[in-house]
Amino acid sequence: MSNSNNEDTKLHVEADEKHLLLDHNYDGIHELNHPLPSWWNFIFWAAIVYAIGYFIYFQIMSGPTLREEFKKDYSKTMLLQDEYKKRNSMYKPELYAAVANDEGIKKGAEVFVNNCLPCHAEGGRGDIGPNLTDEFWIVAKSTPETIYNVVYNGSEANGMPPWGEVLSSEEIYLAVSYVSSIKNTHIKGGKAPQGEKIDE
Amino acid sequence: MSSTQANAPSVNRRLETFSYDDQIIRWFIIATVIWGAVAMLLGVTIAFQLADWRVNLGLPWTTFGRLRPLHTNAAIFAFCGNAIFAGIYYSHQRLLKARLFNDILSRVHFWGWQLIIVSAALTLPFGITTGKEYAELEWPIDIAITLIWVVFAVNFFGTIIRRRERHIYVAIWFYIATIITVAVLHIVNSMELPVSFLKSYSMYAGVQDALVQWWYGHNAVAFFLTTPFLGLMYYFVPKAANRPVYSYRLSIIHFWSLVFIYIWAGPHHLLYTTLPEWAQTLGMIFSVALWMPSWGGMINGLMTLRGVWHKVRTEPGLRFMATSLTFYGMSTFEGPLLSIKSVNAIAHFTDWIPGHVHSGTIGWNYMIISGILFYLVPKLWNTELYSKALANVQFWLATIGLVLYIISMWVAGVTQSLMWRAMDSDGHLVYPNFIETVVKIVPMYWVRAIGGTLVLISFLIMMYNLYKTAKKGKVGEAEVFEAYALDESSIEQNAETHRKLEGWPMIFAVLALLAILVGSAIEIVPSLLSNKYIVKMDAIKPYSPLELLGRDLYIREGCYLCHSQTVRPMTHEVLRYGKHSEAAEFVYDHPFQWGSKRTGPDLARVGGKYPDMWHYRHFFEPREVTAGSIMPRYTWLYDNKIDYYSLQKKMSVMLALGVPYSAEEIAAGVTNAQAQAATIAKGLVEGGVPAKVEDKEVIALIAYMQRIGADYSKVEAP
Repeated sequence: MSNSNNEDTKLHVEADEKHLLLDHNYDGIHELNHPLPSWWNFIFWAAIVYAIGYFIYFQIMSGPTLREEFKKDYSKTMLLQDEYKKRNSMYKPELYAAVANDEGIKKGAEVFVNNCLPCHAEGGRGDIGPNLTDEFWIVAKSTPETIYNVVYNGSEANGMPPWGEVLSSEEIYLAVSYVSSIKNTHIKGGKAPQGEKIDE
Repeated sequence: MSSTQANAPSVNRRLETFSYDDQIIRWFIIATVIWGAVAMLLGVTIAFQLADWRVNLGLPWTTFGRLRPLHTNAAIFAFCGNAIFAGIYYSHQRLLKARLFNDILSRVHFWGWQLIIVSAALTLPFGITTGKEYAELEWPIDIAITLIWVVFAVNFFGTIIRRRERHIYVAIWFYIATIITVAVLHIVNSMELPVSFLKSYSMYAGVQDALVQWWYGHNAVAFFLTTPFLGLMYYFVPKAANRPVYSYRLSIIHFWSLVFIYIWAGPHHLLYTTLPEWAQTLGMIFSVALWMPSWGGMINGLMTLRGVWHKVRTEPGLRFMATSLTFYGMSTFEGPLLSIKSVNAIAHFTDWIPGHVHSGTIGWNYMIISGILFYLVPKLWNTELYSKALANVQFWLATIGLVLYIISMWVAGVTQSLMWRAMDSDGHLVYPNFIETVVKIVPMYWVRAIGGTLVLISFLIMMYNLYKTAKKGKVGEAEVFEAYALDESSIEQNAETHRKLEGWPMIFAVLALLAILVGSAIEIVPSLLSNKYIVKMDAIKPYSPLELLGRDLYIREGCYLCHSQTVRPMTHEVLRYGKHSEAAEFVYDHPFQWGSKRTGPDLARVGGKYPDMWHYRHFFEPREVTAGSIMPRYTWLYDNKIDYYSLQKKMSVMLALGVPYSAEEIAAGVTNAQAQAATIAKGLVEGGVPAKVEDKEVIALIAYMQRIGADYSKVEAP
């Protein structure tokens, strides 16, 4: 104690806590012995009670597991999707006709740029995916209906992802409108033909 | 230690003279300051890389995936590590009235630790990594860490044995818990089988590896960034404030509850994964129960300042300490909150987590280290602080920078999470393209980078301030002290149980070890013993030789730092990525690669999702296939040749770890790998890629990408 660093200031003890000062001294550090704050004590024990209760309900009693909760939620979503599919997966000529015009093509070009460009490249000249500006077709067969089906369902064998769940029905019709507008335009620098030739 | 005989006080007290080893403290302080600047410079660099991918500079060793582990290792083990050693060695000697056990051990400790840091800097940027977060260092460095830690422990406990103070103060309780637990964590998590001098595979696979890793990872936060600093707080706050510690009783209760409960909390990093749910639940509930034990330290620290708050305004050291305790309180409230399953569902994999981490590391660790340095440097160089005004500027820059960091990451995290889960009334994702959710938060990455820059500047100001302080001071002769040797006169009669325990440090250490072993054993041992822990699936096969090599490239480039490989059972994740993950899928994954952050999309179902050509284009220039992507380019994969040299050794090591490769498969490893590479290359060349790509690294990585999750994709979901 005699050799503890003598600070220029003395130990500061408030008047109301002098009786709480313990006879501990470590390198000049002293300790008070305030009681535990009551709110601290309360939350400490409440958290432990909560923890035990939570474990008993979810792991020992019949509380739902994360998987069960997921299955319930997922099947609800699937019902919504099924209804949507019923309404939209079938190609509807009248919906196509509504966008088979200059404005539809312009909007369709936007959809194309945002979603199809990485594989079919600028102007549809083909890159990872086939050239869309020639008269050769792999899965779709040139008609709007077959194009719609490939866009909607994709073609796993050829690496084309399904877009039915990703794009809205309207966006798909717009894209089909754009793709129909570029076929047989033989854009310069296009990828070599793939699939069978379809004459119209 | 003779603690059993509490006989009559001896009359012949022996007065001894001694001095403290302060030179070693000065060395550790200098190392702290230098490594701190390096760690923060790296942090700012990778923050700008996320804001603008071009900051990756196009070089392998400057790319995010290589620098991020360097940043975390430098910040935790170099900056905080050296600060811990400086603070512990300074206070330990004084609290025990004894010089450090052995001067040579102290120096071996110092230089050994600096060499470990240098070896980290010489390996991580070159892709030499185990691929386990915060434990990336390869096996020879792991062994060096173990040895140096033992040196530290011997020096520490040796000093305790030679002490002249009967009872150990609360600071030392925390130091003891730190030394014991870090040793246990490091050794258990670093179990790996070497392939070569700089390559090894984790002994554990998949779910088990994840469990051990996050038991380690979380408790690195607990026992490297929390308990040692709480110990330092218990020494430096009362010293700097000249105030008695608020509550001895609270010290006892919060120490034991903190140490006992913290070790269980690791699985909160694995909520909604394929870890058995009972273990996930333990991780969550113990995290919630940890709230008050953590706050016990904050209360004891802040309430110790009772009556001297005016000093907090005028004394820079005290101000940093008080602020650090406030941030400590904030992040130890945020932690339990984030551990609640339904909150974690939103926050996990988002930027909220790095935000939370930095409110701890910058707000708590950096701030309290500043406080300690402002106390120590003037004392050890026998002078006054050079400039209070500069310390003031430092304080405000650091605080504003940190607040920008935390808020930008809250906004980014919550925004992106809500976009990930947004669904329309038809049951479809509103933002099915992951990139839309990235582009949205890039502005927040800029705010974070600016906030980080302010913190770095604040640190450089402190560096200058401390340098000028040391320069105007001078190192004097070591002061000589006198104290009585430990004898029976200091044994307190009728002491309470805990008080007695404080006089028996070795028994205290054993009890602390038991306290951390209970939770560890209950959570980890079942995964080691039970073969029912993971139900195997016949469809899941080992990786082909080429895929194994590709996987090593995935680890080398640090892909796991931005991409997860685990789909959680949540509707929006299953819609976005595909079937949720199953434990059986990962049984051959040494190490597991689930990741902890989705800066890019999850990859658990990427196998077969895109054509080979897509990947070929994407690794070369991600923006060519995904406009707006912030992923770095990996152009060197197109120049480097696949390294078949160690392939057979790698397969043999995998076999030793339980991956069922046959002897024939291993013998034909290289041939089979080359054949698979040729097939992939052929397809690419047909698509217009220049010839002779079959021996390039990118082919192996593509092979691995196409395999991830592919086995399970073929299985009908139950």
